[in-house]
Amino acid sequence: MAEESGHEKGESDKKIVHVYPLVKHSDMAEEMKIEALELSMTACEKYASNYEQAAKVIKETMDKKFGTYWHVVVGEGFGFEVSFETRNLLYFFFAGNLAIIAWKCS
Amino acid sequence: MSSPSQSLSDVHTLSTSNLNSSGETGEETVVDIEDDVESQGSLKSGSQAKLNLPRDKKAAGDAGDGADDFETWMKSRQLIRPEDQLDLTEAELNEEVSKVLTAQNMNILKNLVIYSFKEGAYVPLPLPSNTVTLLSFTGTSLHIDSDAAKKQIEELGDDVIQGFGAPAIQPHEKFKGGEEEGEEEEEEGEGDGGRQSIEKQPEVEDKDEEEDEDEEEEAGEEGEGPQGDEEGAIADEEAGLPPPQSSRKKKLVNQFNFCERATLTYMNPTRCVETQTVPPPRSTYGATVLQWVIYDAYEEDFAAQQTLEPKKKLGPPGGKKQDSKKGGKAALAEELNRKYLKCWQILERMINQNIYDDIAQDYRYFEDPADEMREEEGNLLPLWNFHYEKTKKLNVTDLYFNPHYYDLLAVCFGNHDFLTQKPEGAMCCFSIKNPSFPDYIIMTESGVMCVDIHPKYPYLVAIGMYDGNVAIYNLQNFILEPIYMSKGVNGKHGECVWEIKWGPDMPDGEINFYSVSVDGRVFNWILMQNELQVTTLITLFLTEELGAITTEGPDGTLVKLKGCGTCLTFHPLNDEVFMVGTEEGIIYKCSTAYSSKYLMYYEAHYLSVYRIDFNKYNPNIFASCGADWRVKVWEDMRPEPLFIFDLDSAVGDVKWAPYSSTVFAAVTTEGKVFVFDLNVNKYKAICVQAIVPRRKTKLTRLCFNQKLPFIIVGDDKGVTHSLKLSPNLRVMCKPPKKQPWLDQITLQNQKLEKLLSLVRELPEGATAPEGTTVAKA
Repeated sequence: MAEESGHEKGESDKKIVHVYPLVKHSDMAEEMKIEALELSMTACEKYASNYEQAAKVIKETMDKKFGTYWHVVVGEGFGFEVSFETRNLLYFFFAGNLAIIAWKCS
Repeated sequence: MSSPSQSLSDVHTLSTSNLNSSGETGEETVVDIEDDVESQGSLKSGSQAKLNLPRDKKAAGDAGDGADDFETWMKSRQLIRPEDQLDLTEAELNEEVSKVLTAQNMNILKNLVIYSFKEGAYVPLPLPSNTVTLLSFTGTSLHIDSDAAKKQIEELGDDVIQGFGAPAIQPHEKFKGGEEEGEEEEEEGEGDGGRQSIEKQPEVEDKDEEEDEDEEEEAGEEGEGPQGDEEGAIADEEAGLPPPQSSRKKKLVNQFNFCERATLTYMNPTRCVETQTVPPPRSTYGATVLQWVIYDAYEEDFAAQQTLEPKKKLGPPGGKKQDSKKGGKAALAEELNRKYLKCWQILERMINQNIYDDIAQDYRYFEDPADEMREEEGNLLPLWNFHYEKTKKLNVTDLYFNPHYYDLLAVCFGNHDFLTQKPEGAMCCFSIKNPSFPDYIIMTESGVMCVDIHPKYPYLVAIGMYDGNVAIYNLQNFILEPIYMSKGVNGKHGECVWEIKWGPDMPDGEINFYSVSVDGRVFNWILMQNELQVTTLITLFLTEELGAITTEGPDGTLVKLKGCGTCLTFHPLNDEVFMVGTEEGIIYKCSTAYSSKYLMYYEAHYLSVYRIDFNKYNPNIFASCGADWRVKVWEDMRPEPLFIFDLDSAVGDVKWAPYSSTVFAAVTTEGKVFVFDLNVNKYKAICVQAIVPRRKTKLTRLCFNQKLPFIIVGDDKGVTHSLKLSPNLRVMCKPPKKQPWLDQITLQNQKLEKLLSLVRELPEGATAPEGTTVAKA
């Protein structure tokens, strides 16, 4: 998980840009979390310029894998207050400027 | 008085009766028939046409007045006659024609010959058959009882038959006795074309008569005559030849007998039952995402990682600590388990001690009192048997007592039958204190063939396997995984490893061991930090004086034959010198210092050498045994053995006793243990005892206990027997009187020397002084 893009960290500290996924908050089971992370990352990388599309893909994949209904937000700046089915929330940062939140609430 | 029909009926009758009646005249026969017809006809109604009935005077007279009526009636009718009927005058009609019937067929050609190529001459042909077929055609009618008819009736329906009142019958078309007819035709010359059609009629009528069984009997006879056509028509109607109009088919019955039924069962009353489950728990979470929040989070995480990294770099110990912290609970449980295990083991030993109390007593204190009475003879007292359920089907391939713990014995399990090798093997360590279950069990994927326990580190166990691999185990570890294992094609022996021996530590303290294999090489293995380093010590090439034949390969390359090493033993004093026995029966004396030269070789056995063992007191004396039934005792550098003993079956193992310089024991495949004391008897064993049933079980290996007077022997059923040596088998040297006190070692050496001096043959003996071993060829 600890991939770092800042290879030249010795040269200047400020230039370091982290792109690895950083899980800010999650109450999922470990296996589920890893799977969700991976599929979200794939979607975000595939649709790097279209957050809406990325969110849609993540939601649909999550629905298929973990059952309905998932809600996904992909964005650079937003605020949220959600209620979700316990142990079904993943909130993480990715690519240095993206925040992704996915939760299940049927 | 002959009309065509008459002659025909005549013929008919004749043909049906036998033709053999050649003596009869035609006339008589004719008359008979006519009589018959007449008498019948008079009884029947006159409605039937009676034409051309030949009658003679006699018949007319018989007819009486009935005939007058008939005549008048006859004349009133216009008779239809065939066109080609001959017109005959009354005189001609009344003329009597006499016929002669012969049994011979005039038409048959006689004296027919055919040329026979076989005989080269004409040979007469046999007479042709008397039967002549004039007309033959297949009818379209079926017999009512035949299968085909039944089928047809089934298809058309029963009413078809009922409608006609009589089954459909076809007239017979075939006439037997056609010859006669032909004859007659020739004779009479009256044959006419209509004849055949008329001929049929009587037949038809006959059939009808049979079936209808009524007056119509007569009709058959009456039918003869020119009115045959009419008759035929009537007959057709009556006989009911299958008419074309009966084409309506009966509906076929449903072959499955299908019928539909339905029933209504009770309806279960519906009920409403509801349950409400607890909804899945929910929680709420909220946050705000801003670019700086993301940036800060990454920074924080990165900083945390930076602090973690140095710890990781500390190496595996740090990591292990983390692991132990993580799996704290598991580790604790494991430790607890180990404690439990230890308790159980102690308990098990206690139980075993109680169960085998008598054996334990014997093992320590029993001395066979019978030995005092016997001279020069001893026996073996069986103690425990060690076996393990999982290795029941395997052979005991090697035995070794732990050099430090005298009551701990290592037993190897493999298979000596090399055609049926199983992919399993085991090394078990049994304790005398617990004969029921091994203390340590090492299961392997290949048969274990040999074992050695390091003399300095009694927890280090080296095993050699059938597949050529060697492995080192540390018995201190809780989980018995090999700490070192040979790997790779070049990092192991090519074939079965037969003996493995720990060597003295290297100058820089590295632990090492030696192994010998059938592939003809002796390896030295060094236990490095984390790997097993292997060097070839010597390759057992056959030398030319040993009769080695260098064979040429197909491309002319010379293939050097190698000896197949089967056993290996080191000189007790000189670490460099070792002996290797081979399947060729030769014992090579080699040195670790030279890898290409032998110091010496002994043509020891005719078959494979199984074991070489140095005397525990005199390092110049060693014993060897082999598959050629022999045990030989050798002195170093002497090509001829000092003693040869024949044990009547292949000798699996021979070992010198640790307590005496002149005692050794051997086991044979016949299941016997032989104990020799050369001091007591130079010619035969002082104890021969069968341990296992002969033929069924073979003894494979043997080992003396270093401390106590008992031996263990292994058999090919996976059982290890422990046997106590009776006092006569372990006679110690008596310190001589009137002399300064000498220790047992000196005495033992003196005893052996004294014995050897008797056997050694001078002049050889003169050149074989002490310390020959040290001489490096």
